[in-house]
Amino acid sequence: MNSWQYSESIESEKIVNIEKKYGNFIDGKFVTPKSKQYIDTISPSTEKILSSISIGNQQDVDYAVVSAKEGLKKWSKTAPSERAKYLFKLARLIQERSREFAVLESLDGGKPIKESRDFDLPQVAQNFFYYAGWADKLDIAWGNEKYKPYGVVGQIIPWNFPLLMLSWKVAPALATGNTVVLKPAETTPLTALLFAELCEEVGLPDGVFNLVTGDGSTGSHLVNHKDIKKIAFTGSTGVGKYIQKSLAGRDVGLTLELGGKAANIVYSDAALDEAVEGVVNGIFFNQGHVCCAGSRLLVQEDIEEKFIKKLEKRMQTLNVGNPLDKNTDVGAINSKDQLDKIEKLVNEGIADGGDLYQIECELPKNGFWFKPSLFTSVQANYKIATEEIFGPVLTTLTFRTPEEAVEIANNTEYGLSAGIWTEKGSKILWTADRLEAGVIWANTFNKFDPASPFGGYKESGFGREGGRHGLLSYLKVSS
Amino acid sequence: MTDVKKTYKNYVHGKFVRSESGKVYSIDLKDEKYEIPLTSKKDLRDAVTSSKEGFKNWNQLTMYNRSQILYRLSEMIEGNKDSYISLLQDHGLSKLDSKNDINHAIETIVWYAGFVDKWEQLTGNLNPVAGQYFNISHQEAIGVTFTLSPNSMSLNELVKSILPALTVGCSVINFSDKNAVIALKLSEEVNNSDFPSGSINLISGKFENIIEDVGGHVEIKHAAIYEDISKKSKEVLGQKGSESIKRISLLPSMSGLSSILPFIETKTVWHPKGK
Repeated sequence: MNSWQYSESIESEKIVNIEKKYGNFIDGKFVTPKSKQYIDTISPSTEKILSSISIGNQQDVDYAVVSAKEGLKKWSKTAPSERAKYLFKLARLIQERSREFAVLESLDGGKPIKESRDFDLPQVAQNFFYYAGWADKLDIAWGNEKYKPYGVVGQIIPWNFPLLMLSWKVAPALATGNTVVLKPAETTPLTALLFAELCEEVGLPDGVFNLVTGDGSTGSHLVNHKDIKKIAFTGSTGVGKYIQKSLAGRDVGLTLELGGKAANIVYSDAALDEAVEGVVNGIFFNQGHVCCAGSRLLVQEDIEEKFIKKLEKRMQTLNVGNPLDKNTDVGAINSKDQLDKIEKLVNEGIADGGDLYQIECELPKNGFWFKPSLFTSVQANYKIATEEIFGPVLTTLTFRTPEEAVEIANNTEYGLSAGIWTEKGSKILWTADRLEAGVIWANTFNKFDPASPFGGYKESGFGREGGRHGLLSYLKVSS
Repeated sequence: MTDVKKTYKNYVHGKFVRSESGKVYSIDLKDEKYEIPLTSKKDLRDAVTSSKEGFKNWNQLTMYNRSQILYRLSEMIEGNKDSYISLLQDHGLSKLDSKNDINHAIETIVWYAGFVDKWEQLTGNLNPVAGQYFNISHQEAIGVTFTLSPNSMSLNELVKSILPALTVGCSVINFSDKNAVIALKLSEEVNNSDFPSGSINLISGKFENIIEDVGGHVEIKHAAIYEDISKKSKEVLGQKGSESIKRISLLPSMSGLSSILPFIETKTVWHPKGK
């Protein structure tokens, strides 16, 4: 068992004020859904009902798109420097209310408060601040060609980083002069709804930001809407393919940020203690609900035994439990559905012949939980080595040479991220050149920044979010 | 004395080949009718196999080397300018229009030749992240790229459908229909310009015969088409392409930085700074 026992240090829930029921945010105000359909959103750590949200139907989406079209008339006449100021103001408001947002995010999604407070919220505010500054510099961002916004943009975001994904989508879209209809994930809508309040507060022109909550059917209405000029989606590769197929033959822009099965390559000349930290962070950050998670550990054969021992020892120190406890490292699994998926894949891994190590810890009685897990003795063809688990489960494979490491790392349809651990600079660059992945972390992992482009190769999607490159996802060349 | 008439063949992996199907379609020029290979699905697969190897060989050359090979292509065309001018005249263009078009094509190629070792300085950059990290975004070629040839009788438009992808290091399969004689003639100058085999494959036929396979072939990483193809064709390509998240873009008629952007992937590398 863990030799270090911490006293509880619970962040108070009192700071958040959750309504019993939420409508959609359209044309600058909260409106009752035309669908009249609602679904409960629960806390995955307690299974308590937090609130009830609308399942937007075709009419709700129509209303939001009409509003976004009206909003576009005003937004396109708003000077770029004025657009910037709205975004700067949003960034400031988010900073001021970040504690409230962080608690709400952890309640609704199950992630540790340590992460929502110290990672998600600072990144969200910085992202609005960063893109605010681009709004009036678009004409110098990409050479002397003229670019223009798409118009009304539909955005569909996942449940793993609810508010952060909102900021990745909304900030660049508005900075570049588009207006937005956003659909948050059905299990984590609350921070997006609170964000809508901020839009009202800063006086963002009506219709510039619209929010329709709902499930896959709502998203589908949005994708298939005739007046949407661009879709930006973050989520599973399966849904990404469905969206691309739905848009085939239509003049609608598309960017996709999809799944991953990242290799985290540890060479025998790595600084092993640092590598252990990076590997742990790479897979257990946000319960492994991370598209770029380092879910495949590729360790050089001659250090496997030693490395796995260190890794297991470090894993055992992870605190699993109440997301609102400031000492918690690994929170709740986001939903029952996701927990079922993780359990199914892990059971298949055991049946296939993988050796499973799980840390010893007590899990809370209610809610959805999964112990941090490590598979060894894995063959490359096992499902746990090829499919995205999207949970706190690390799969180990071994290699002998750098060439073999690269081959195994690239032997996947995905290409979102990868990690390299070695003290030899030339080997980092050699490896990085050969890895088919959009983001490569060398001697670090899971680092993000609004200024740094993020997005995948191959079936991990196309388009980039973040940085100067992220602007291109919301602009098209003006002929 | 009877003139010797040229047989136009597909250009695949540095060789001039007929369609394995033995099928042809005809293009009528001013004085002559030409039988052009009607590319089959199997021909397309062969071209993709070649292009995959071509990508490896083309992409591993230094930028300086690739730049010189593209420049040599312009030299080769310059040397055979008269034959191109008369070919375009056979396609119904005036002598002046033909001459202008060839001159523009040469200028386009020289422009891209000089761009090979520069574009990445415009598309890549250090990212000013808030922390002690070295963070750089640079670009890589997407890989095997299928591009449609324009329907216009123009060498300049033709090279614009090939060069942006080639410039960034992709290998290119260019597919022509109505302008196939011009495209297949270009293969002769390509063949004399030190391109590694498979870096450019030029094939001809009817797009509807192979479109499903272009969409469905997972080794074709990118398909670039023109706006004016039928809605049905776009749908088929998009639907089949979605099965492997294929990149599909529209070929612009302009050159410039934006012309290469669809053919690159951005790779961002992080490393901590420390002692």
